Amino acid sequence: QTILCLPRSFEYSQKNAVLVPVAVLGVGGMLVYWLRSRHKIKTIEMGDGWWGSGERPLKGKEDESIRPFKIETSDKEIEDLHCRLEQARYTPPLEGAAFHYGFNSSYLQKVVAYWRNQFDWRKQVEVLNKYPHFQTTIEGIDIHFIHVKPSYVPHGRAVQPLLMVHGWPGSFYEFYKIIPLLTEPARHDLNEGDVVFEVICPSIPGYGFSEAPHQKGFDTIATARIFHKLMNRLGFKEYYLQGGDWGSRIITNMAQMLPQSVKGLHLNFVFVSRQGLRRMISVMLGAYVPWLVGLTREDVRRTYPFIQKNIYELLRESGYLHIQATKPDTAGCGLNDSPVGLAAYILEKFSTWTDKSFLHKDDGGLESKYSLDELLTNVMIYWVTSSIVSSMRFYKENISKDPGLTADARVGVDVPTGIAAFPQELVHTPRAWAKEIFKNIITYSYMPRGGHFAAFEEPKLLAQDIMRFVRKVEQL
Amino acid sequence: EFCSSLAGVMLLEVFLVLGTVIIYFLLSKKKEETLPFQKGWWGKGQKPDTEEDITIWPFKVETTEEELSDLFRRLDQARFTEPLENSCFHYGTNSVYLRKVVSYWKNQFNWKKQVEVLNKYPQFKIKIQGIDIHFVHVKPPCLPEGQSAKPLLMVHGWPGSFYEFYKIIPLLTDPASHGLSDEHIFEVICPSIPGYGFSEAPHKKGFNSISAASIFYELMLRLGFNEFYAQGGDWGWLICTNLAQIAPNHMKGLHLNLASVTNMGFIHLLSILLGRYLPGLFGFRDEDVRRMFPFLKKGLYRILLESGYAHIQATKPDTVGCGLNDSPVGLAAYILEKFSTWTDLEFRHLEDGGLERKFNLDDLLTNIMIYWVSGCIVSSMRFYKENLQKGIGTQKHERLTVQVPTGIASFPNEVMHTPQAWAQKKYTNIVSFHFMPRGGHFAALEEPELLAEDILQFVGKVEKEQLWRKK
Repeated sequence: QTILCLPRSFEYSQKNAVLVPVAVLGVGGMLVYWLRSRHKIKTIEMGDGWWGSGERPLKGKEDESIRPFKIETSDKEIEDLHCRLEQARYTPPLEGAAFHYGFNSSYLQKVVAYWRNQFDWRKQVEVLNKYPHFQTTIEGIDIHFIHVKPSYVPHGRAVQPLLMVHGWPGSFYEFYKIIPLLTEPARHDLNEGDVVFEVICPSIPGYGFSEAPHQKGFDTIATARIFHKLMNRLGFKEYYLQGGDWGSRIITNMAQMLPQSVKGLHLNFVFVSRQGLRRMISVMLGAYVPWLVGLTREDVRRTYPFIQKNIYELLRESGYLHIQATKPDTAGCGLNDSPVGLAAYILEKFSTWTDKSFLHKDDGGLESKYSLDELLTNVMIYWVTSSIVSSMRFYKENISKDPGLTADARVGVDVPTGIAAFPQELVHTPRAWAKEIFKNIITYSYMPRGGHFAAFEEPKLLAQDIMRFVRKVEQL
Repeated sequence: EFCSSLAGVMLLEVFLVLGTVIIYFLLSKKKEETLPFQKGWWGKGQKPDTEEDITIWPFKVETTEEELSDLFRRLDQARFTEPLENSCFHYGTNSVYLRKVVSYWKNQFNWKKQVEVLNKYPQFKIKIQGIDIHFVHVKPPCLPEGQSAKPLLMVHGWPGSFYEFYKIIPLLTDPASHGLSDEHIFEVICPSIPGYGFSEAPHKKGFNSISAASIFYELMLRLGFNEFYAQGGDWGWLICTNLAQIAPNHMKGLHLNLASVTNMGFIHLLSILLGRYLPGLFGFRDEDVRRMFPFLKKGLYRILLESGYAHIQATKPDTVGCGLNDSPVGLAAYILEKFSTWTDLEFRHLEDGGLERKFNLDDLLTNIMIYWVSGCIVSSMRFYKENLQKGIGTQKHERLTVQVPTGIASFPNEVMHTPQAWAQKKYTNIVSFHFMPRGGHFAALEEPELLAEDILQFVGKVEKEQLWRKK
């Protein structure tokens, strides 16, 4: 019967030729969407891992002791550094280049002169050791962390455990200025008073004094699991989490993995990986009718011109991400051998990611927000631990797979969330977009100033926002 | 505030529409426009009022004990990071293999001897547009009666150098001694791109492929060549293409071992989607289909996986090059990775990156030493920014066609394959297009005979039909 129907009028079959595929696509699309959303899992599986060298030992329990740790240095280490600084070979910058081609080597020579002649590593090691450090073995590798308790606790106040996770090219050291504001707020004129924290800052495996994984595949989910195990080992059942850069994604995974252990999640950077048709429409409409798609005036100011800020500028600033996500061992090799190269690579980020206008300055505006001592201390952590290559591998392990299909892209975050949106952050994420993943946003603050390294650059602002968030959560 | 941003966006849209209309007009009207010759000034400071010194002086590569002991000290103090278990070359250059290379470099590689090898061909320098240009100029040792040598300009790329041509030069200047037909004999000129090797680096911003092509054009004129052939791959491909667009009346023929298409349009997209099923419709041959599809794997993912270096060099060259100019081991790792992966992508699965299967360590290290002793890694990387910072496919010259007779040698292991169907939209006068049986990106160094044969047959065709006269 259908065959007889075919030689019908030309017009009829032509309409069919269009309608049928469209209908199929429509139904098919809806079906796929329904299937995928059906697979929306509630939490990420914890799983297990082994990152030590060789095969995992079959018998014997893992050594769960928590060992005190102190950073040390030696004359040999300092002399080797000085020797390399003295023999550094520079390439003169192009005329009028400022920081547009990367780190300006004329300014770099000044930094290195300071590093060689005034920077005192032994003194900085003492600064680093002022907080108690520890190491413990989890899943085959040594995890380093600092654990700072308040020196006194006001009568009747509960001390909230807070895990703060750094990113790249940062370290646990980024938190050194904010820690006292959180453990002893009253002493620093922060009357957000009812909240007092004990702070734990681990080093991500492969960064600083945490051992680097020996096996492939170490991603943010493995890190999240290890940090949960760490908190558990320290005796905490429920805790707050804070982070930016990789720290943000790690703690998000932690909240997706064990929501019952996470009292609250505070982020100064939001990874929103799901770009879809809805996002595109929101972007296009947002320029004309922002209120319709949930964007505020400040969102518009920070997000538009969209192509300029989100595509062009992002492309300009993501070269490091591209090479580290594909060839980390190549990218890091020279940097582990040349401290000057390492400093240029890392400090470029501290310039551009703190304020985009710093690109136009001959000195990258670095010393307007940070001291050379603190910048170089962070660089030294990468240098003395030889961790630059393993820190870069984290990019490859996390970015290789299709972002839409990873477990964490399909799981929402239901724990109370606080977001501090800093104006000079690399990418601005409006609340309307963050809501797609974070279902329970308690506070969302437009910070008045500051960039990517919030804890380092604006510790007081960040501390205030964390406390404001935690106070609200505690009241719930 | 909101109103002004709305007005701003609408203004942007109006400009975009106007811009598109204008571009469309320009495109549709003047496709055969030539590229203007660029007279720039790349020296330090202000351009002096005096006439430029036009002498050509001989140049020899030299080394000193100090240079060698500095190198050895740095090799001795190199700090390596253990690779992940079973990672081969998937994370980049494997440091276990790198250690072996460094050990060879310290103990067996003889830089003094290699300097003599470099100096076996006559080298010269000349000041053009404010900077010293280095070049090798090799004349045929003997010419048969009545025959004249054809000038051939050969341009290298990144991370290569003039040294890549040392194996192919004798096949072109003295083909008879190497079992090749001596119907056409060449005198070969291999310059170093400004910012590479022994050519001075530009001091001003903006030195791109057109600037380089203009300088090489001036070089050939000053050497007294009114008509010449040009050959290139990698950046050499783009510079020679630009040269063909600047001076089509001087270029008899253009031979390329890489022919990228940067100006993709709707037709390209369609051919990517459907080319596997309807190759004939898009002009794809069987070999094209074999090399290009499945497109996601062999095209898009491959490009993404292998272009990290280009992305960072096109945005922050001074940052990424800094450590490499200070650590010879880092420099070696960075450059060797390309000689491995771009020769054969399968080499990523090998613990030693397959490097010594196609090259010997002496040649590889000599190339690296050229970058090291001249301290040119940063300036070599800036070339990426100057050419790519506005994006790919956006520059005027990318939309212009090439009418000069063109020969393309398409090597199978090149990172991305460009079918003739795409190439001929830009190179409107393709005289020969051959699928080479083997070889990768560094064709002149890896398969000099294959490349020489292809150049010779191409020139043969051009000369026989005096094709350059028919423009």
